[in-house]
Amino acid sequence: MRMKSRKTGRRILLGMIGFLFVASVPWYRQGGEFQLFLGLPDWVAVAIGCYAVAACLNSWAWLWTEVDDHAELNFLPKSNDQAEEKGS
Amino acid sequence: MSFSEVGVLALAVYLTVLLGVAEVANRARRELTPSDHFLGGRELGVFVLFLTLYATAYSGNSLLGYPGRAYRTGFSFVMATGFMMAIIVTFHALVPRLRPAAIQRGYVTPGDFLRDRFGGSRSGRILGFSVAMLMVFALANFLLAQLKAMGYVASLVTGDLVPYSWGVIGLAGLILFYETRGGMRAVAWTDAAQGILMAVGLLTLLVWLLVGSGGMTQITLEVSKIRPEAVAVPDLKTSVNWFSTIALLGLGSVVYPQAIQRIYAARTGRALSQSFALMTYMPLLTTFVVTLIGIAAITRLEVGTGIDADGVMPLLLNEWAQEGPISRVGAVVVFIGALSAIMSTADSCLLSLGSLLARDVFGRTGDGAKQAQQGKWLAGLVLVAMIPLALHRDVTLWRLIELKMEILIQCVPAFLLALHWGKQTATATLMGLVVGTILSVGLTYLGFSQVFGVHAGVAGLVLNCVVVVIGSYWKPSLPVPVKA
Repeated sequence: MRMKSRKTGRRILLGMIGFLFVASVPWYRQGGEFQLFLGLPDWVAVAIGCYAVAACLNSWAWLWTEVDDHAELNFLPKSNDQAEEKGS
Repeated sequence: MSFSEVGVLALAVYLTVLLGVAEVANRARRELTPSDHFLGGRELGVFVLFLTLYATAYSGNSLLGYPGRAYRTGFSFVMATGFMMAIIVTFHALVPRLRPAAIQRGYVTPGDFLRDRFGGSRSGRILGFSVAMLMVFALANFLLAQLKAMGYVASLVTGDLVPYSWGVIGLAGLILFYETRGGMRAVAWTDAAQGILMAVGLLTLLVWLLVGSGGMTQITLEVSKIRPEAVAVPDLKTSVNWFSTIALLGLGSVVYPQAIQRIYAARTGRALSQSFALMTYMPLLTTFVVTLIGIAAITRLEVGTGIDADGVMPLLLNEWAQEGPISRVGAVVVFIGALSAIMSTADSCLLSLGSLLARDVFGRTGDGAKQAQQGKWLAGLVLVAMIPLALHRDVTLWRLIELKMEILIQCVPAFLLALHWGKQTATATLMGLVVGTILSVGLTYLGFSQVFGVHAGVAGLVLNCVVVVIGSYWKPSLPVPVKA
């Protein structure tokens, strides 16, 4: 149950990171004036802010990632013969 | 003591320490097998793994190419922080599946996964060989960039007492010595020390720049006067290029052979995920810092916008060194940090090159000890072949990274897609790889390395994926045998 909720939580975190990456690029505002924020042009501050939040979420997502060395390898053929059938 | 004397002394101390680490790593070796030599016996814990990932990811390109690029393009190079972070996000698609397969099936190189996934069919074998050749090309390209950067830094830190060519040849020889002697253990342990030096050096330099220029606001205002386009909101084409660069480097970098081999080399899966949890902050502490250094240089230096821009960082350090004995020592620490970042990437490239050539290109038949020995020899030969090329300075470091990535990104479907999609076939993957590579290389050579901001490699990857998906679903209709 805990594993399943972590898996869902991780997917939500990755979705949020994707959104932050889209928001980090100033495609939605072309030209015009800008202001300074913390000494940086505001569009740079937005980009860095997005990356800072994305870093925190990604770190959290990694801590929730179960890398099980003994997990079942369903995506791999059991032998090369099977791989030949499957892969060519 | 003059700057060059301090530089020579620091260089001598640093190189002696490296040789000592190599000797300790050599004594820690348990057996001469590919797994022990190329993966350090799969024993890397969280701390060493994190630092080796860090030192390998941040290279001569990050230390010399990125400030030069930020100097040329201005604040829009903040995109570099985005693509370095995208790499750690993209690893989510690779690590949880590739790691258990590597442990259970004993992978040493990326080609081991391809052989396992696509089998011993003719298409599978050609695919494995083709991917290995593309990876060898990309690694050789990367190694070349590091050799050039090593020569640069060695000549600057010693005030040209060690000329560029001696720096390239001498440091390349040293890397070859400690890599062949200690294998992955020597590489990872030296990477750990090099990673710390690099981070400390960069942060010190940034503090000096900010304090000396009156703070970030002052720097930005001054840059807006000298070069207004460097602070302006990027146009649509630059925004498209920003997305394209995130895709190119975020996807292409996860299939670096040395990155894949560090996934194999971790002690446990947990150590790996904890290392990535730490790595995700490093773009903010490193890439953003070097971007700011490049921006701050606009207010202090006037250099050309071509090849000379790669010299922005060394010029800044030289300027810093003129201010007094303490700043002289500080500048030398940053120089050594930069040199160690470059060497740590070069040694990882070399180790991976040796393993790829021995196992995926020429190998598979010899026994373990023979293969590890063969890897050492092949790595040495490649390094020797690279040196004459490194002595020419005709391409900027940034251009070398882009060229490599446009090729390497074509390997992405063979790993990322193949780990998640069971229907993917070897023939379709091979076709996609060929078509994608031809398109990206063709566009680059025709002078269209970018089409409205989109990299040729990204366009090639899109076509590559379309061919893989259609080809994997397509089943040729075979003639039905007629019954007598």
